[in-house]
Amino acid sequence: VKPCWILCAFLFSLSRSDGEEQVGQGEQKSSPARPSFGKKQLPSIPKNAVPITKAASPAPSTQSANGTHASYGPFYLEYSLLAEFTLVIKQKLPGIYVQPSYRSALMWFGVIFIRHGLYQDGVFKFTVYIPDNYPDGDCPRVVFDTPVFHPLVDPVSGAGVRRAFTKWRRNHNHIWQVLMYARTVFYKINTMDPLNPEAAVLYDKDIQLFKSKVVDSVKLCNSHLFDQPKIDDPYAISFSPWNPAVHEEAKEKMFAHKRRPEDYNKGLPVSGLSWVKPGSTQPFSKEDNPLQT
Amino acid sequence: MTSMVANGTRGDQSLVLKGVDPETCMIVFKNHWAQVVKILEKHDPLRSIVGGLGGGHGLGGGGGLGSFRFGPVPGDEASAVQNYVEHMLFLLMEEECGQNGAMGPILEFVVMENVLERLFIWSLRREFTDDMKLEQLKMYEMLIGQARQPLLHHKPVLKPLMMLLSSCSGSPSGSSSSAVETELVLLLNQLCCVLAKDPSVLELFFHTSEDQGAANFLIFSLLIPFIHREGSVGQQARDALLLIMALSAENHVVAKHIAENTYFCPVLATGLSGLYSSLPTKLDVPSEEWHCLHREDWQQLPALVQFLNSLEFCNAVIQLTLEEVMTTTAYLDLFIRSISEPALLHTFLSFILLHRHDNVHILDTLVSRINTPFQLGTVSLALFRTLIGLFCEDVMLQLVFKYLIPCNHMMLSQRRVLRERDCYSVSAAKFLALTPSCCSPEVIPPPLRKLDSILWSKGTDGSHIGTMESKEVLSEEDDCGNSCVIGSEIYLDVSYLHYLYDAQNSISHCMRACRVWSAPYDGENPPPEEYQRNTLEEAGRTRPPVTSRKTPNQMHHSGPPLKDLTATPGLLELEWDDSYDACPTQLHPEEDQETRPIPDEPPKHIQELRRTAIMIVKGSYIEESEFQNDVMVYNLVAQKDAHDSGNSYHTSSKSLEAAKQEMLDESVTDQKTTNSESSISNGLSSPLDEMDSKKRGSQSNHKSLEGEDLVAQYEELIRTLGAQHSPAKTDSELKSPTDLMDEEEDEIDFNSFSPETPEAEKLPSPFGTKPRSGSRGHAVPFTGPFLSVLLSRLENMPSNSLHVNLLLTGILAQLAAYPQPLLRSFLLNTNMVFQPSVRSLYQVLASVKNQIEQCSANNKDFPELLTAAQHCLLARESSLRDSQSPQKGDWFHSSEADRIKTKPNIQPKTVVPLNKTEVYAAVLFTEFLKELAAFAQEHSILSHLPTEQ
Repeated sequence: VKPCWILCAFLFSLSRSDGEEQVGQGEQKSSPARPSFGKKQLPSIPKNAVPITKAASPAPSTQSANGTHASYGPFYLEYSLLAEFTLVIKQKLPGIYVQPSYRSALMWFGVIFIRHGLYQDGVFKFTVYIPDNYPDGDCPRVVFDTPVFHPLVDPVSGAGVRRAFTKWRRNHNHIWQVLMYARTVFYKINTMDPLNPEAAVLYDKDIQLFKSKVVDSVKLCNSHLFDQPKIDDPYAISFSPWNPAVHEEAKEKMFAHKRRPEDYNKGLPVSGLSWVKPGSTQPFSKEDNPLQT
Repeated sequence: MTSMVANGTRGDQSLVLKGVDPETCMIVFKNHWAQVVKILEKHDPLRSIVGGLGGGHGLGGGGGLGSFRFGPVPGDEASAVQNYVEHMLFLLMEEECGQNGAMGPILEFVVMENVLERLFIWSLRREFTDDMKLEQLKMYEMLIGQARQPLLHHKPVLKPLMMLLSSCSGSPSGSSSSAVETELVLLLNQLCCVLAKDPSVLELFFHTSEDQGAANFLIFSLLIPFIHREGSVGQQARDALLLIMALSAENHVVAKHIAENTYFCPVLATGLSGLYSSLPTKLDVPSEEWHCLHREDWQQLPALVQFLNSLEFCNAVIQLTLEEVMTTTAYLDLFIRSISEPALLHTFLSFILLHRHDNVHILDTLVSRINTPFQLGTVSLALFRTLIGLFCEDVMLQLVFKYLIPCNHMMLSQRRVLRERDCYSVSAAKFLALTPSCCSPEVIPPPLRKLDSILWSKGTDGSHIGTMESKEVLSEEDDCGNSCVIGSEIYLDVSYLHYLYDAQNSISHCMRACRVWSAPYDGENPPPEEYQRNTLEEAGRTRPPVTSRKTPNQMHHSGPPLKDLTATPGLLELEWDDSYDACPTQLHPEEDQETRPIPDEPPKHIQELRRTAIMIVKGSYIEESEFQNDVMVYNLVAQKDAHDSGNSYHTSSKSLEAAKQEMLDESVTDQKTTNSESSISNGLSSPLDEMDSKKRGSQSNHKSLEGEDLVAQYEELIRTLGAQHSPAKTDSELKSPTDLMDEEEDEIDFNSFSPETPEAEKLPSPFGTKPRSGSRGHAVPFTGPFLSVLLSRLENMPSNSLHVNLLLTGILAQLAAYPQPLLRSFLLNTNMVFQPSVRSLYQVLASVKNQIEQCSANNKDFPELLTAAQHCLLARESSLRDSQSPQKGDWFHSSEADRIKTKPNIQPKTVVPLNKTEVYAAVLFTEFLKELAAFAQEHSILSHLPTEQ
């Protein structure tokens, strides 16, 4: 089974990198194509999505008393979440991949690969739900697609790992911390305040039985890996078996991608100028002969 | 025919003439002339009377000359005239001035008889061939170059000369033979020399041209085509033009003419670019050791020599016309916009950034002009927009970062939050909350406020808090597909989306451009403390030892730092000021400064600016308190200038200064001084300099220096220095001078003070003042003149003209695109706490908001005016958009047009007069807030993306 997971991980990271571009730099790549006077829209909010008339205006705390910029509230929320997402990218959490959904920045899809320990080889898909009064609401919720057997994962809903952040504090708490915590609980089992009491008791009382249940649960989760995503969304994470026709090219691209940053820099026409010698704070301190440039 | 004129030899003749009495000469001259007149009249179709004044000839101009011809002139008669004329010319040249500068008798006769004009007409009457032109040109060349009395003051001399020049300009330059061109340029050069020596002739040249029908400064126009010519012709032309440019500094008419009526500027800029592109792309590398272009290398390459000559010339032009400030600024802007070659930009920029004029850095002068009212201020703003749009680290360093690196403008506790990101768009919200109530989106009717619905969707969980409950809900929803998404439709100002989009483009473009920069400017790199230390050394090094200031040329020496000078000896030859050597006469005022004691007062132009500023304050349009900042900036600049004037220091601060100065002087003048001795003085001078600069910075107390302060500051300084070098050496006071030297020798080139070093290298570093003003900021928190001036002008937004406001907001928006945390935090982080003396952009905007609110409250019509002004601006924008489709690379300028965005083709119903500045300002201000908010929001994403990905 193991090679299959590596493959999956491989494929996933590929799709993840694509998704990342969609949300992050992808914007600037696609932007030149747009007419400069044309309509502009925020990332990942499709303008022509099915209109639903239910009005539920989010009320961020930044709204001013006179209400002149009430209509900017959604922008603040959107950018706060984008900022959170870039923070996640920056953290490079091992074995964790997420991407916001197409329909809403408040819903992120994710998958976690467990590389050793009791849950070794486990590949668990999950969804992160962020409250719409973020960052002043509760802790974002992590819900596993398939409820994995774990003291801190609800056996029915798959909800878990909320406990670590009883009170969500803006500026202090970030979504990457939630994800990191979600990863940690699979390596370091904690049975306090369990969401799955059975698992907690077993872990403390009968570790062997616990282990075998975990192995079964991991197998179960992995057997559902190729299922259609539970939530129908263009950006939902979906796995598929290796298909050279589809994946070979992507795989090669991915290996080539390693070298890309340099090439990327070289290829671009550099429009900035600098004659400052690194380490100096004097203009024109570079020893280059300007005539030779 | 052996013509002595053509050969230009006259040695024997002049010997012969010596001792001959003037009366005899006069008789000979008259005699010759009578013979000439005979021949002339024989062929004159009009048969004018002998001795009649030449004005009666009624010359019609070059075109109709053919009609004067009255049959061919026989060769023997032509050569007879030629011979007589040569003799006459010698007599004229050799004649001395009369009593009290009166005309000599021969000259008087020449003037009375209109001899020269008649001779010119004679030459026209014959075939006006190149040979004829040559003959005439040489005649004048000899006359002007060798006459012993001034000739050009006399119209009968000047007029035919101008006609001759006109006739040379009439022919397309290509058709004239190179011999004529050579002679023409030689003559022009000679004329320029005369003009330079005697500017009163200049007036005559202009007036004479007016007679010709056009206010045309012929000499100048004739020279322009030769600017980029190679060889001695080009050199003479450039020298000559420089002389004229020098004149234009004093003569308003000339300057105006050059700027408005000639193609000088475009020719200069484009020609330079052309020359650059024709440089050889491949160099023959003589050996492996070869690493740079030395003089002997580049002299082998004619194209390069030619380019460098033109470059020197451009530089000299800029220097000489510095007084004609507006014109020069426009020149500069044009140059910089025309140049696409980085190496050429390097030259121009280093000139602007490092060079001094009247002991003021040109950059400082330019910055101080932003605040001058009316056209000059606007032109200066435009120049800075160009400069900032270059994404050049050196420019930004000198304008902005130099002052921000020490982090003195913020509270100490803020340094660590400098790089923090604004996760929740708090700053954007604060900017938008400054929207004046009269401009809030709710108040403004469509179509100005273009609303659109955007679907904002969110995850399911918002409405389901309880875990158990949501479990069920979730599973239900999951069963029915995408119903897990709920959404809401919110109307919002679509223009904000445009701003976000623009900001994203602008920031990512800027980030890409800044990849070549040497440092991130994030409050750690370059390190704030390090920078202050460098500053001290800089100050120590740049104290100009009096003895080394020998020539004005050296005084003005500027260029790369000392290390670079040694590394690129070839460049030494190309230093800007060498171009002065090429000028036959030197007109720059610095020569005087050598001899007269430099006054404690700021240079003249700064005084001037200050006076204007105060006049305006006293006048009407700005309240005094609001102008305080500007006056302060002037004062700072002026003070610095006074200090930098080199060998004169404030007597008040003399005690330390003088002692230190003596030590430095000794190290330079005393040939026996060893390196270590000079290093002692350097090692000690650093802290002293620091205190000095502190003292200077604190302005108020720079007349007295408390002993206690001194000790305290000294100790503090030593401590910081020690801490930087190694934590172990806590008692660095005890360090030996050699230790100090060891630590600092990387930074200080002690060789620069040794007698072996070439003179040029001992000169005051051009960077001297800059870092010192930085270290002055150490005492009085200061974000630099540029940011201060921009903000102070911004604060006057309601009274600024629309165009100024567009430029101002354009510049600030461009600055806001820079990703460097030091600048970003200063402009866009509304949570930063700055030193009380530092005004932030947010504070200034808040002040503008209040002014607008007041305007609105005091004027009942304000809302209608506002709406009308918006219509006007929209109409303006759509017409802009129609007339200039956005060009490639012009994204920045298009963003100005983007400032007001909605449907095109809106016609204003009522036109709001442009003098209702506060109304336009209110509209612009509201849009500017959105723009800034958009920048803040985009920065919170883009500036924090890992660079690798």
